[in-house]
Amino acid sequence: MQQLLNGIFIGSIYALFAIGFTLVFGILDRLNLAHPAVFAASAFVGIELVARGGMSLWTALPVVFAVGALLGLVIERLAFRPLKNRADAHFAGLISSIALAGMLIALLQWRYGPDTRRFPAGSFPDSRYEVAGAQVTLVQIVILAVSLALMVGLTYMVTRTRLGRGMRAVAENPTAARVLGVNVDRVTAVVFAISSALGAVAGVLFAINVNTAQLGMGAAIELKGLAVIIVGGMGSLPGALIGGLVLGMAEVFAVQHIGSSWRDVIAFGLLFVILLLRPQGLLGARKVREV
Amino acid sequence: MLDEYATTLTFIALGAIFAYSFYAVLIAGQLSLGQAGFASLAAFSAVALAPSAADVGDVPALLTAIVIGMGVGAAASIVLGLPTMHLRGVFLAIATLGFAEAVRVVLLNAEWTGGAQGLGVPRVLTVGMAWTALAVVAYWFWRMGGSRYGRALEAIREDELAARAMGIDVGRHRLAAFVTSGAVAGLYGVLFAYYVRLIAPSDFDFTAAVEGLVTAVLGGSTMFLGPILGSGFQTMIPELQRAVGIEAGWIRPFLASLLLLVVILFLPGGLTSLIPRRVRMPAAADDGGKDLAGRRHPAAGDTVVTLAGLGKEYGGVHAVRGVDLEVRAGEVVGLIGPNGAGKTTLVNMISGLVPPSSGTATVLGTTVGRTPVHRIAAAGVSRTFQHSKLFDRLSALDNVLVGAHLVSRPTFLRRLLWLPSARRDERAAHQQAARCLRRVGLADVAATRASALSYGDQRRLEIARSLASDPSLLILDEPAAGMNHVEATRLSELITSLAADGLTILFIEHNVGMVLRTCTRVVVLNFGEVIASGSPEEIAADPVVIEAYLGAAEEDRATGPAEASIAEGTAVDPTASGPDAASPDAVLNVRPGAAGTLEPPDTTSRDAT
Repeated sequence: MQQLLNGIFIGSIYALFAIGFTLVFGILDRLNLAHPAVFAASAFVGIELVARGGMSLWTALPVVFAVGALLGLVIERLAFRPLKNRADAHFAGLISSIALAGMLIALLQWRYGPDTRRFPAGSFPDSRYEVAGAQVTLVQIVILAVSLALMVGLTYMVTRTRLGRGMRAVAENPTAARVLGVNVDRVTAVVFAISSALGAVAGVLFAINVNTAQLGMGAAIELKGLAVIIVGGMGSLPGALIGGLVLGMAEVFAVQHIGSSWRDVIAFGLLFVILLLRPQGLLGARKVREV
Repeated sequence: MLDEYATTLTFIALGAIFAYSFYAVLIAGQLSLGQAGFASLAAFSAVALAPSAADVGDVPALLTAIVIGMGVGAAASIVLGLPTMHLRGVFLAIATLGFAEAVRVVLLNAEWTGGAQGLGVPRVLTVGMAWTALAVVAYWFWRMGGSRYGRALEAIREDELAARAMGIDVGRHRLAAFVTSGAVAGLYGVLFAYYVRLIAPSDFDFTAAVEGLVTAVLGGSTMFLGPILGSGFQTMIPELQRAVGIEAGWIRPFLASLLLLVVILFLPGGLTSLIPRRVRMPAAADDGGKDLAGRRHPAAGDTVVTLAGLGKEYGGVHAVRGVDLEVRAGEVVGLIGPNGAGKTTLVNMISGLVPPSSGTATVLGTTVGRTPVHRIAAAGVSRTFQHSKLFDRLSALDNVLVGAHLVSRPTFLRRLLWLPSARRDERAAHQQAARCLRRVGLADVAATRASALSYGDQRRLEIARSLASDPSLLILDEPAAGMNHVEATRLSELITSLAADGLTILFIEHNVGMVLRTCTRVVVLNFGEVIASGSPEEIAADPVVIEAYLGAAEEDRATGPAEASIAEGTAVDPTASGPDAASPDAVLNVRPGAAGTLEPPDTTSRDAT
């Protein structure tokens, strides 16, 4: 039971991170490799807000969300918009976002140095609860609640609002959406902003969960995020949620039963099996592109 | 002098070799990130298996290790490639990345690799050896560039479906590119191991793979010099920064990333796009050289296409239903019908792009259905597409050269050895391509990129490309779409002259006047069924056809002038899409794409795939 809960907590962070990833891919057909850098950056920013700014967790989270959204806009403007009419936009976007990620990490190093950072002691209430015989901290409950709330909010926005309809139109056919009056550039920018905001919150929650932030933390979760979006189905939001939870639990159980050194193989074993048996992922619909 | 820079130079060579392993697949349009895994497997197995340098001497030890490493790399890429070659784009990238990560974790946990401590390896590699290896690899890709194999890979990158239709076995070519990549990655792994003294699985992690990819893309993945330029750039930047006194810390990675961003944004095609490339059009006087081996065409009157009860259903919608049709050699068959009548679906089935759901089709002795597209092309079927599917970033001449794939001979291996016969074969292929370009009147734009041509020229280029394979059956899908009156007339003359050469032609066209003028037989399709078939005169007078085209035939306006205008060959299909719905006199050279992708609702016919 304890393992199951731990799996769910870490899995919900994976899911939140992966949803940001898959949102850009599903709607815009681009893989944004600067996403992990946003994840890392927000962890440092979150720690600074709490440690230096003296903010509580509750005020820090919305600020981090906003910082993430801002970073998303910057990423879109610098790394993706200039490429939008290029024949090789796919590859070029990968590289330009890698470049931007490199710049971002370098800036983090400038501001925070290469060392691991932690939240100051006593930043969070230390309450613990007993759930069905397992220990749960208040912080873990907050992580789960924030992740779920954001995912529900996002799903509502995509399926019910005008903006969400614009996003789905762009996903289906950008040119047709433009002709029908959707401001494609604005929708694109908003998608990047939301995606990065979610990645940013995931970053700060991750930092809270393990109480550390490192420059390399983005790279570590990047591969898992990719695995999650493939397992769940490229572009599928519920798929990313399920994929994240499945991965989180599989890892926790693998650590317990096989050994911690093999943990990372689980993600890729899962990924491989899915790609071979069901390339569209658990919940993804295979998108047949017409020529 | 050299000693001072030996380390830098060696790392440039190593980086370039690793980048070549990405270049090998990028040139075929594949994004793979598994190379670090191949390199890692190769490095560890070679170090474990090769004899010690102390026993047999440096060079023999290194050579044995290279052979082992390249073998391991190639074998691993076959094992990974077979199940994953059907994946495309990012999916392939992530699958191969997953493989590389799995390799890393397994090696990290294995005993014989030394785990996280790594494995000590004597330093054997010198700067000279590294550059020799790089020269060999670069030579390989340089000679590949102008060969039939190299062009086929580029064609696959630009448009996989069109490449298939030109008779290229895409699966085999993609796997070949993947295995080349594995072998080159293996070479890198071994050279790296014998230079850095200590290797650990973490040397071949995701970061390393991304660095290799960045180097390859930065240099440019369409020209063989790309990886060397990319690696030079990537390796020199930190050196230059040190030289101008920028110390370690955050500024160095920041500037390196910034430069990368600038290059990728402002130099599409990478650093090699700074190198001008020329395309030489063989002069007309060159003709008279050896011709390509032509095909044996069916004699006039022989059956070329037999369709029996052919049907295609898309989720309950019958796009094509029970079509029986026979086409004989030498015929020019026009296929007309309103939008959504199933014309393109029918043609897609004949050329093997779409498997029929019922009935049988035999084309040039090949049964269509499970036969791959490239086999049907090999049987002598060549086609153009409703929406041009050219190899956009290749020159017009190269497009046509790819079209000649089936009738030219493989030249890559012979080009590696500079055999004169390869040169002769290449020249013959070039002349064939030049002839086809001249035939459609595009000789003066041979060096122009396909994407830069006008719309009408693109349509003609597609015809030239499909002629290059010396087909027995030529299928044209709306060749005159978007052409003006003059261009359409010239096209009609071209088709007539091709038919005079004995080519069997099947073409879809909305310009009814042109069809009636050009064809020996016209087949009319409506709602997926053949409603009329006969000589142009019979069709023009057929009341069923007139009804299908203009609605109720009994209404006064339809019977009078409309019938007359069809018979005169001046009527234009009123249901036709886009520009050709307008008056035939209007000069229309507008690319339909300019109006966005708002095609008229076309519920039944589906373009290929």
